[in-house]
Amino acid sequence: MELLKKLGTLKKAGPWLAAAAVLVVILAVFLGPYAWIVASSFKPQAEIFRDLRPISWATFIPLHPTLENFIHLFVNRGVGRALINSAIVSSCQVGFTLILCSMAAYGLTRIRFRGANIVFAIVLMTFLLPIESLMVPLFIHVSNLGLQDTLVGVFIPWIASPFGLFMLRQAFEDLPRELDEAARIDGAGHFRIFWSIVLPNVRTTLATLALVTFLFSWNAFLWPLVVLQSPRNIVVQLAIAQSVSIGQLPNWGETFAGATIATVPLIVLFVFLQRYFVRGIAMTGMKG
Amino acid sequence: MRRLQHWGAVAIFVGPFLGMLLLFQYVPVLRMLWDSLWDFALLNPDKRSFVGLQNYIDMFDDPDRRQAFLVTFGFAVGVVCTVIPVSFLVAVYLNGQLPARAIVRTVVFLPVVTSAVVIATMWVFLFDPTNGLVNSAFALVGLPRMAFLTSKMQALPSIIFMMLWQQTGFATVLFLSGLQGIPGDLEDAARVDGCSAWQRLRHVVIPLLSRTTVFVVVIMTVFSLQAFAPALIMTGGGPEGTTNFIAFDIYELAFSLQQPGLASAESTVFMLLVLGISLAQMRLLRTRWNY
Repeated sequence: MELLKKLGTLKKAGPWLAAAAVLVVILAVFLGPYAWIVASSFKPQAEIFRDLRPISWATFIPLHPTLENFIHLFVNRGVGRALINSAIVSSCQVGFTLILCSMAAYGLTRIRFRGANIVFAIVLMTFLLPIESLMVPLFIHVSNLGLQDTLVGVFIPWIASPFGLFMLRQAFEDLPRELDEAARIDGAGHFRIFWSIVLPNVRTTLATLALVTFLFSWNAFLWPLVVLQSPRNIVVQLAIAQSVSIGQLPNWGETFAGATIATVPLIVLFVFLQRYFVRGIAMTGMKG
Repeated sequence: MRRLQHWGAVAIFVGPFLGMLLLFQYVPVLRMLWDSLWDFALLNPDKRSFVGLQNYIDMFDDPDRRQAFLVTFGFAVGVVCTVIPVSFLVAVYLNGQLPARAIVRTVVFLPVVTSAVVIATMWVFLFDPTNGLVNSAFALVGLPRMAFLTSKMQALPSIIFMMLWQQTGFATVLFLSGLQGIPGDLEDAARVDGCSAWQRLRHVVIPLLSRTTVFVVVIMTVFSLQAFAPALIMTGGGPEGTTNFIAFDIYELAFSLQQPGLASAESTVFMLLVLGISLAQMRLLRTRWNY
């Protein structure tokens, strides 16, 4: 710890300058692309190109901002529709995931039943399945169920989330059992205990799970691409991908405007709820 | 009656989750294994002929498939070899006492909350040979103009760099929590024994981070193996198949070339690979290192 502090404090001027340089490089490399995209979304195409050579402040700041790209996106490209569809899919996925996972977590931690270990093993096995390997059979399967090209078909395969179950199961285990045993003696049934004792005590974990699920759902690409066809069902990630499809001459400003609309809400959410995001996303990596 | 009530409660609480899991995870896996033995087209799935293991044989015979596996593994190696050192250094930096730590932590994490589609889209334009920001920045410091994604030699390294940019934040968070778990007295002891800062880093900190490192290596490997959006959005798998990642190859085979049987065979091999790597990780993490 001492060493790391020392590495960090670096009191002498030379190392301090080096650290400042590292800071500048990190900021430029990570913020530069965002600044360029967002600034350019407020510029006509010719201006984007002109401001690139040479790089100056004008590259990252729109000097004559125009909303034309955004207006065109909503009026001619149906991005409003895509945003609404994405919002529907993501909120349904969050809602159903929370319901299914919290009920299953309650069942596995609070109702002692034979075979609970088998159920848990069944869940454990799916934890590691990459969706990329499932896209073809899942597409055929979902089509057979008549859910192809529907918004329901986009979120329904993922609501039984093993990740969500693990996260909530852990939180439920950490909750003292004396709480619900006291309630049981008072005559409360499983639903009462679940609803008014367990759930209110794991609000933080529920919020974290909701946030991570929303992020994954909003940002999902491969499965919506496979399952959706008609333009009226398009989601926002597909709309962005279409505007850069290879072999077409893309409209830079419009594409940047689309990327900005799809990303800025998440970034605002992230900056305010950073703690939950980092905790939740670090946990998605805890698979296995 | 009590037994009935007991199992009723189990069914109500666990049943919906389990049912959905079986329906949307287990059924597709079985379907994948089954379909990989048939030759058919998605447009007409009922007209199919049984070909046994022929799809698997075709897959390993086909230089395009072999290239997809090679490219994907090359990509994973490139990503791991760059993300690990960079994110470790950023984590050490963040663990220190420099000003602006909060800003750096937020900024580095931004790409993690940005979708793969938006990132791939951003970098198509950043890497643009004529009007890209990267070439403009290169011009600023006197470097020559590069072709990036349109060059056979540069396309994959360019995407590896993008992935480094995208994943550094995530790996940094994992390393940072590992660093914060190191007890301070261990380092104090080393210091009292006269170890230099470098020796302490080399012989105390890095060994204590082995578990974290294994973990980050595996996660980055699995993430890289799953790369899809860069191929679809940035390169179309080209030039000449040099960025034809497995996931993109499966997608193209099934949905453009109408060979879902062959695609299912490739999916099966891919799934086993990813499962194998994850299980190896679990074994590695279960062993206790003697520190």
